Amino acid sequence: MFVAKVTGSLVATQKVGSMVGHKLLVVEPFRVDSQDRSRLVSTGRTFVAVDTVGAGEGEYVLITQGSSARLTPETKNLPIDTVIVGLIDTIHVDHNCVFRRENAQH
Amino acid sequence: MQVGVAVGTTNSTVKHSSLLGWKLLVVQFYAADGRTPDGEPVIAVDSLGAGMGQKLILSSDGKGTRALLQSETTPVRWSVIGIQD
Amino acid sequence: MRIGEVIGTVTLNRAHQSLDAASYRLAIPLTLDDLLGKTKPAGEALVVYDELGAGIGSRIAISEGSEAAQPFHPELKPIDAYNAAILDSIRMEPPHGDRS
Repeated sequence: MFVAKVTGSLVATQKVGSMVGHKLLVVEPFRVDSQDRSRLVSTGRTFVAVDTVGAGEGEYVLITQGSSARLTPETKNLPIDTVIVGLIDTIHVDHNCVFRRENAQH
Repeated sequence: MQVGVAVGTTNSTVKHSSLLGWKLLVVQFYAADGRTPDGEPVIAVDSLGAGMGQKLILSSDGKGTRALLQSETTPVRWSVIGIQD
Repeated sequence: MRIGEVIGTVTLNRAHQSLDAASYRLAIPLTLDDLLGKTKPAGEALVVYDELGAGIGSRIAISEGSEAAQPFHPELKPIDAYNAAILDSIRMEPPHGDRS
């Protein structure tokens, strides 16, 4: 899994039937800065993910990728490879807090 | 399948129960030049008694590994299926 | 499975119902040179589902992809990285290329 920030939502009217009713969000993976391990930095990549937890724009989320993205009752029959499985509360690196949800700017 | 080189061994006390009694090898895959590491080393289960530095044939067939370990719930993917002569 | 060094912890505010009460570690996959002590771990950390209680600095076996969810079979859990073992020791022998 990896940490990502929700940067937007995505709507498609034309889509395969099984995707109807599933919320799609645009996410940007973040990583621990290898120079300064006390902060998170963007990886510059983006993905489209199906949301299973009610995430909103600006929130930091936990993402599962690959065939494991279909390992939930909601997604098992969907043609997808990226799913949001949690909302991040805190991230600690080397015992230092590098992310806290209540302090994050949405 | 891929050919990799046994570069280390590791052991563990706190682990998934399916790993009990299995020898764990650290195996490095190499690029076509035979010298440049291709990705990070992987841990593989070995039933053949491979030695350090030997070239091994590894399979990433999770189903085969589950059969080898006689465990439907093992998280292991890589197993040694041959030692190159 | 790759070998990872645990550098941190992630907690969730809300999770998919199948993941309640889980614990997550941040771990950097180790390269051959990291394991030989020639370099410091600097790769991109991943979030690993942990049932074994790995601490900061632990070296663990990270199962990835569909095998990561296999321990919960036939239950469905959307997991793509799983701590399969806390490694007590790793004994490396430099590969041939490094000796010459």
